[in-house]
Amino acid sequence: MVGNVLVWIVWFLAAGACLGSGIAVVSLTNPFYSALALIGNLASLAVLYLLLAAEFLAAAQVLVYAGAVMVMFVFVIAYLGGRADAPWAGGSPVMQTAAVVAAVALLVEVVVVLGLAWGDDLQDSAEVSDAFGSPAAIGELFLTDHLLAFEITSIVLLVAAIGGVVLGTTHEKGRP
Amino acid sequence: MSGPGVGWYLIVAAALFGIGSLGVMLRRSPLIVLLSLEIMLNGANLALIAFARQHGDLDGQIFALAVMAVAAAEVAIGLGLIVAMARRDMALDVDQASALRG
Amino acid sequence: MVTGAWICLLAPLGGALAITFGGPWISRRTAGSISTLTTFLAFGGALIAFFGLWSRDAEDREQLSTAYTWLAAGDFQVGFEILVDPLSAVMMLVVSGVGGLIVWYSMGYMAGDEEERRFFAYMSLFVFSMLLLVQAGNFLLLLVGWGLVGLASYLLIGFWHKRPEAVAAAKKAFVMNAIGDATFALAIVLLVWNTGTLELLGVFGEVDALSGTTVNLVALGLLGGAVAKSAQIPLHTWLPDAMEGPTPVSALIHAATMVTAGVYLLVRAHPIFEAAPDIQSLAAILGAVTLLVAGLVALVQWDIKRVIAYSTMSQIGYMFLGAGIGAYGFAIFHLMTHAFFKALLFLAAGVVIHHLSDEQDIRRMGGLKSALPRTHLAFLIGTVALVGLPPLAGFWSKDAIVASAFARGDALGWTLFVAGLLGVLLTGAYSFRLYFAVFQGKPVTVTQETGESHHAQHAEGPLSMLVPVGILAVLSAIGGLLSIPGVWQPFTHWIEETGEPLVEATARQDYLTSAISVALGILGIVLARRAFLLDRQLVSTPSAWRIFERKLYFDELYDALFYRPAAALANALRRRVEEPVIERSLDEIGSGTILASGGLARVQSGLLRTYALAIAFSVCVLVVVFVAVR
Repeated sequence: MVGNVLVWIVWFLAAGACLGSGIAVVSLTNPFYSALALIGNLASLAVLYLLLAAEFLAAAQVLVYAGAVMVMFVFVIAYLGGRADAPWAGGSPVMQTAAVVAAVALLVEVVVVLGLAWGDDLQDSAEVSDAFGSPAAIGELFLTDHLLAFEITSIVLLVAAIGGVVLGTTHEKGRP
Repeated sequence: MSGPGVGWYLIVAAALFGIGSLGVMLRRSPLIVLLSLEIMLNGANLALIAFARQHGDLDGQIFALAVMAVAAAEVAIGLGLIVAMARRDMALDVDQASALRG
Repeated sequence: MVTGAWICLLAPLGGALAITFGGPWISRRTAGSISTLTTFLAFGGALIAFFGLWSRDAEDREQLSTAYTWLAAGDFQVGFEILVDPLSAVMMLVVSGVGGLIVWYSMGYMAGDEEERRFFAYMSLFVFSMLLLVQAGNFLLLLVGWGLVGLASYLLIGFWHKRPEAVAAAKKAFVMNAIGDATFALAIVLLVWNTGTLELLGVFGEVDALSGTTVNLVALGLLGGAVAKSAQIPLHTWLPDAMEGPTPVSALIHAATMVTAGVYLLVRAHPIFEAAPDIQSLAAILGAVTLLVAGLVALVQWDIKRVIAYSTMSQIGYMFLGAGIGAYGFAIFHLMTHAFFKALLFLAAGVVIHHLSDEQDIRRMGGLKSALPRTHLAFLIGTVALVGLPPLAGFWSKDAIVASAFARGDALGWTLFVAGLLGVLLTGAYSFRLYFAVFQGKPVTVTQETGESHHAQHAEGPLSMLVPVGILAVLSAIGGLLSIPGVWQPFTHWIEETGEPLVEATARQDYLTSAISVALGILGIVLARRAFLLDRQLVSTPSAWRIFERKLYFDELYDALFYRPAAALANALRRRVEEPVIERSLDEIGSGTILASGGLARVQSGLLRTYALAIAFSVCVLVVVFVAVR
């Protein structure tokens, strides 16, 4: 019983941090602060993943996303310096209203659908063992059922690395 | 499991997705747009993992891991683009990058 | 014997192909020789076939020979098969014999023309087509031959294709023949549908099993084809215009052979017509009407070839009359004698025209008796044979037909009898009007008219032109002696094996008819002579003259009935439908596409955020759709 309450409290805190930092990312004008807010977002998501019995993924989230991707972001922001400043500006009011409407509509739709389905499909969660979400389980799946996805993901990363190099190269004689 | 049911997680995921899409549609700096894209992807990841938990099937988590890898690749390329734009002294403004106008 | 028939059929085809593929590498004279020789070779083949048939018993005289089966579908088979029987043997002889003489003649007549090779290729093609028509053993092959002769006629009428009148005349002939071809084809469809076979002998065996309406429709279709091909009323207006072609063409196609194809069909398909007696009588009536109308119109024509053309129309009317009342033997006999003397007349007229450097108006001719003595004699023989005075050919054949009408006896028979006799009167009048105008009277030389002196240079003509004329003159004189009623009738007995005549005149009826008709013929000649000596025309009232000269306004009638509405409709369609709808719609498709794509292109703004907005909205919609579908 206490554990239950604890779970709920943790959940609310994590969810709140998640959404708050998300809003912060979107609305801050200084891109560095936005990146920091995103790091917070990722961390709170990792907590949520833990609550969902996805330990490996929580660790991967922190290591890869927060550790590597965000570092890249921060590097670039540092490189750009003042040029990266992002004031709120522009766009016709019509478009802005439309954008808000679209996002809200999406959220409302999802809530409605969930409400409709809540009674039927989302009641029970399956029983899972302790090994659910462990690195061993995920690794086993990656090397047996989802081997193709594994390999292709590695190719995607390779391509991205090559693409990054290509984009970053400067040619002589001032040709871009 | 006790604690919030899958539905709660899904609401958070949908909210994250919506916030991210707002960022994509409303901000003019490509950096912020990329960050918002990350938020959207994470919202999708959360939904995947929540459903994986509900069905007791690890495939959702595998999918989420693949999404993470792809997101990382995409960020690398996106940042490379921004750096290339900066190098050429282009304004970092998505509204001005409209050379694909038909 | 059947080999002879095949030689007869294929020799002219070989000639035509040889000339065609020889092209410019053979001389013009060689082309003419090839054509003439192959036609005479065909005549040889026809003789072999004829004698082969003659040597057999009467029952054995139907020979079918199939080259190959073209179409076999279930029980239905049709192929390239020829039928050699008494009727087709006679037709083969006439076509190849007279044809050979005319082709020989045209070597002299067409000498010097630049496109002589084309001419002889077409002539050989025509001879082949006509032989195919008369030898065909099934209706399909008959129709093929039928169409091919129409084609050859078109090609030859329009031979001098730089003359617009010739081209127009060729088109007119072809279109009017096409009407007949259509009815013929419809009749064939009915036949195959109801009897399941197209072989001549097969069909004739099945005729009794057909219903009355069917057989009447089939007969009507066949009659339509015959009327068009033989230029009988109402499909006759093409024949006078066809005189635009060279004179040998007029002689061969429009006197001796092609226009007689209708008569051949009437006699060949007589079982069908006998089962549809109303249609057979209709054929006789049309023949009688044509006979009279053509005779009247011939009285007022000024062109020498047109007079002879109308005369042809009139004589074929006699043949239709004969076939319509069932006197098959005499109809074919008249076909043969008519081929002799009509070809003779045309060829002699050709000599005249040639001599006068292509002058064809008889008002500008006269007194040629002294300049062209041999031609004059030939022409006179031909004209007398045409009128039907004994002992020349026309007498024996034409009077026999009229006598058969007499023998028929009922109201129709009497009407036809009177019409036939009146026709003799008219024939005497117009033919001798022509003779007197051309050969008698004051000699008009070309010098008098045009001030140039061509006259002295032209001899009567080369040997290649005179010999055929001579042979035809002899045939016109003695050819009729193959049928002397009451004494000797080998010809009609020969034909009667293929078709029993429905009427037979007694000797008394024969002699009576002959007497009256000779009297009327001489009366016609006397009237013509009187008019000539008084320098007046036979038809003196101006209104009558106008009606006859305009050929009873048939051309104007057809123009108003058929051509004007069709042309008006075509013009209206062009103005109302083709231009605004079809042409402009093509333009508008182009400009409309450009407009639409211009509008659509504005969606591509190039702005990232707009695209993102669009995607977001689409996702919202899609969520609803997915949920609803579930």
